[in-house]
Amino acid sequence: MARPEPQSVAPTSVVPFQIRGRSFTAVVLELTGAADAAFYAALDAKLSQAPHFFSNAPFVIDLDRASGLARSGDFTGLVRELRSRRLSIVGVQNGTMEQNTAALTAGLIPLQGGRDIALAGGTDSGGTDAGEAASGDRAATAIAGQAEPEHRQGTLVLTEPVRSGQRVFADSGDLVVVASVGSGAELIAVGNIHVYGSLRGRALAGVNGDLSARIFCASLEAELIAIAGLYKTSDDIGGTHLKQRVQAYLRDEALVVEPLK
Amino acid sequence: MAKTIVITSGKGGVGKTTSTAALGAGLALAGKKTVVIDFDVGLRNLDMIMGCERRVVFDFINVIHGEAKLKQALIKDKRLENLAVLPTSQTRDKDALTRDGVEKVMEELRDEFDYILCDSPAGIERGAHMAMYFADEAVVVTNPEVSSVRDSDRVLGLLSSKTRKAEKGEGAVPAKLLLTRYDPARVAKGDMLNVDDVLEILAIPLLGIIPESPSVLKASNLGMPVAMDEESNAGKAYRDAVQRLMGQQIEHKVLSPERQGFFARIFGRTA
Repeated sequence: MARPEPQSVAPTSVVPFQIRGRSFTAVVLELTGAADAAFYAALDAKLSQAPHFFSNAPFVIDLDRASGLARSGDFTGLVRELRSRRLSIVGVQNGTMEQNTAALTAGLIPLQGGRDIALAGGTDSGGTDAGEAASGDRAATAIAGQAEPEHRQGTLVLTEPVRSGQRVFADSGDLVVVASVGSGAELIAVGNIHVYGSLRGRALAGVNGDLSARIFCASLEAELIAIAGLYKTSDDIGGTHLKQRVQAYLRDEALVVEPLK
Repeated sequence: MAKTIVITSGKGGVGKTTSTAALGAGLALAGKKTVVIDFDVGLRNLDMIMGCERRVVFDFINVIHGEAKLKQALIKDKRLENLAVLPTSQTRDKDALTRDGVEKVMEELRDEFDYILCDSPAGIERGAHMAMYFADEAVVVTNPEVSSVRDSDRVLGLLSSKTRKAEKGEGAVPAKLLLTRYDPARVAKGDMLNVDDVLEILAIPLLGIIPESPSVLKASNLGMPVAMDEESNAGKAYRDAVQRLMGQQIEHKVLSPERQGFFARIFGRTA
């Protein structure tokens, strides 16, 4: 299975780096108030319950309901406190413009988008509960599992054939085509791609790095299929599944194509 | 109020000009006032196929640039009183076409004729774009082979996005398939795609199947649209297509290309 390579490099020269998309699951910690002594106490209590739950996970602080974090000095302090507890804080989300700028100065990345996902492991009590306030009403709540309602932003449904030369981009969910897709057409989706017809062109699913995205079609004649950046051309797929009802998905970082029963 | 039909294909050499002439002649024979316009600026052919290349004084580009009136450029066909030809320039190129200029000419023609047939050049650039922009309907000419079908698919995509209809939100320009140079023997051998294969890929209604025929070359040499050839199978097929274009339901027949008869071969007659 191929990885995307820079096209302009001559075959015999050594490429110093390769670029690809990859998604990692981060732990989001939503502050419900200030990052004060009560917060750190509650955090320490959580960490003592499940010391390995948060280790090695990229940590993101959700600033939506946070208070008292406005200047880069506040963020630098937060980073120092969290890192001393072996929490790898990498960024923030849902902050104001000022907060984002201050966070950047402190070495944190203001992140956007992202999807809620169940956190693996942590079957003890510290793992998947939706968060508990240790003292008072100003404490940290860890968001794990499906505590947030999934934002099901529209699926794009097309009922006319997608013609060669057309490019369709479903930027917030799945793409469904109830017709065939021409040999020169391109389907691009953040989510899954479903083609209730012949898939002849290119289909790229999970383009934001969603490794669980799948491609389904009634007749596989695609020139190229890709999930989260990992692709196979028609040649790579081979002739065994040609014109069959199949689904394609990633298993152990390999793109597999399976007939649908 | 005229109906504007663009005859387009994407791929070159599939039979757009031949078909424009044949459909135009067929419509005129059926009593409809028809004008055929050549949009292939610089590589004009329609006037030759129509047999009026020796009577061209002014052309489409002259009219667009205000150098001549439309009446001066239109050439009436000598054989069919309902048919007129608007030839294009041989010396200029497609950049001479402007959207406003073309629109004005179309407006003038719309009052005078029942059908306006636009013979598109090959390709998907300016000339083809201009030819399809003002169309109410399209005839997509396709040969039953893979590269022609792929190019026609591309053109269908453009008909649903780069036309006035599409820009106004009225949807795609409705297209019908004209399958030309069809040879059932080669289809049987598997060298050519059959009708169902092409329809499955393009998914548009079928206007007609025109068989491969030596009468097409003869007609173009004579400057006579092949639909006027009473004997030829291609002519018959075009006349059926014209009926369907006007709304009649006629069953599709696959006519075989004319081959030399048995006796002709025995007695050594050459074509």
